[in-house]
Amino acid sequence: MYCRTLYATFRRNFIIQLRAYPKDFFIGNVLTAIYTAVSAFFMYHLLFKGQMKDSFAGYAGTADYVSYVIIGNCMHLLMVRTLLNVSRSLITELREGTLESLMLAPFQRVQYFMGNMLQQTVTTLGEAAVMLLVCLPFGVRFSGFNGPAALIGMMLSLASYFSLSLILAAFMLYTRDTYISQNTLFAILFLICGVTFPVQYLPEPLQWLAQGIPVTLSLELIRNSTLGGMTAVAQMGSYIRIAAMSAVYCVVGFTLIKRVESAALEKIFG
Amino acid sequence: MLIAEHLSKTYETKDWNGFLKRKKTQIEAVKDVSLEMHKGQIIGLLGINGAGKTTTIKMLSTLLLPTKGHIDVDGLDGVKDSMTVKKRINMITGGERMIYWRLTARENLWYYGQLYDIDNKLLDERIQRLLDMVGLKEKQDIPVERFSKGMKQRLQIARGLINDPDYIFMDEPTLGLDASIAKELREYIRDLAFKRGKSILLTTHYINEVEELCEYVYVMDKGTVIVQGTPKALALMGMENKTLCIELHENHELLHAGLTEACMSIEKNCSIQWDSKNMTYTITSRRDLSETVTRVLLEHRASFRNFYHQEPSLEDAIIKLARRGY
Repeated sequence: MYCRTLYATFRRNFIIQLRAYPKDFFIGNVLTAIYTAVSAFFMYHLLFKGQMKDSFAGYAGTADYVSYVIIGNCMHLLMVRTLLNVSRSLITELREGTLESLMLAPFQRVQYFMGNMLQQTVTTLGEAAVMLLVCLPFGVRFSGFNGPAALIGMMLSLASYFSLSLILAAFMLYTRDTYISQNTLFAILFLICGVTFPVQYLPEPLQWLAQGIPVTLSLELIRNSTLGGMTAVAQMGSYIRIAAMSAVYCVVGFTLIKRVESAALEKIFG
Repeated sequence: MLIAEHLSKTYETKDWNGFLKRKKTQIEAVKDVSLEMHKGQIIGLLGINGAGKTTTIKMLSTLLLPTKGHIDVDGLDGVKDSMTVKKRINMITGGERMIYWRLTARENLWYYGQLYDIDNKLLDERIQRLLDMVGLKEKQDIPVERFSKGMKQRLQIARGLINDPDYIFMDEPTLGLDASIAKELREYIRDLAFKRGKSILLTTHYINEVEELCEYVYVMDKGTVIVQGTPKALALMGMENKTLCIELHENHELLHAGLTEACMSIEKNCSIQWDSKNMTYTITSRRDLSETVTRVLLEHRASFRNFYHQEPSLEDAIIKLARRGY
């Protein structure tokens, strides 16, 4: 079988997660996302009095702020968990004392990372589904849902998160840090990629920076397919852009990991 | 056959030198080490802490790239063909690392088997055989976190054999185990080499393991191999003096003066010690004094229980060889 490392890593992580992270971890993640959605709901109704600036609808493609934020949070949850799990995979092996035995084996790195990601995606999609269900009473509405476009958007978004996580993995492995690097990145991504407000409200240099991060485009794709009702054909240009961006990030990520791996192993095993 | 030729490993460390400057220092962990591993043979790699044993093993097992030198594994280059070489080697270390505590014993072996791309049917058979071999068949579905230290170590051995390697590197495999489990493990190791034809490189601080298992020994100090040979040959090399022991049946008052006079006449610096509790003479000298001592015993008609040359100890020899830098 071609994808044995992928499947084995997926299965291994799933078993470990079932045994090691019981339901309170799942609930904790869902709650964090729900709190953000609820705060958006109250901000919209109590602070904004249900009125958004005209420019918001122009930038966001919808006037429905609550749905805009909840979908943004769902994707942010997916992105954070993917980045966390894939990027930290090797460092976790090091901490659990299994990095040596792993590195002794002739396994495919791509499959190993994808196995980590796949398991995480399945779990996080479950969390996101629960989050959306809980958020229904707060007014989340998929006013313009286009299934095929959303599906393509989701696949490309996951690919882009994966590519981003490779770069973070190389950085984490080199510095052997998981806390400062990941939390700094998550804070930056939350602020500049359009999770809770359109990037057009940011200062121009930050807008340029946001356009260079695939997360921004991924949020745009998902919102266009779920709130804006845009078809896959209409979004073809964005699909190509995010695919190209992910490919570049992937190439850079794997090159960095390859270089960093031997240096990091030297630091660790030397 | 695995041949390592002129292996060296240099690390670069950076230390703060003042507030902003960093000073680079080169550390030569291993210098010009050459060794051979033959199938069905257990070889020992000995030395005090920091001698470079673990770094050498990590280079041989593809975890570290050598700065200089060459590793040949059955005609394959240990660096360029590392993905193929990895299929023929494995490593077993002491302690409780290298296994997933939240997986069961069977799940652990299954996962590693997948990484080595072993055919599923063959893998299932091998997992059962290995679990049987290490005595964990009955406990195969219990998460490893509930295992005792000895059970974890036995699972480590099974993990190290999952790819049926030809060359196995064992880095202090009995570290921290109680005597009975350590003995059991030594039996596994012996079977692996002598019955299954595996080639084993063993590092350990327990000299009795080396004497019991190893056919050939490399002694390292300060990153280099200072001496090599069979354990017996090494023990003799480290032995500067010959020690003769005579256990008497009863105390013999005139014997002491006779022995002292006879031995001193041959070697002035010899040492004659009397242990009145065990009624034993221990005579240490550079020359063999057994003939002289026998003559004195006969002259004094001294009755003795035992008369023997003390066997040279490998442990003493290694310490001495390392101390004098050979």
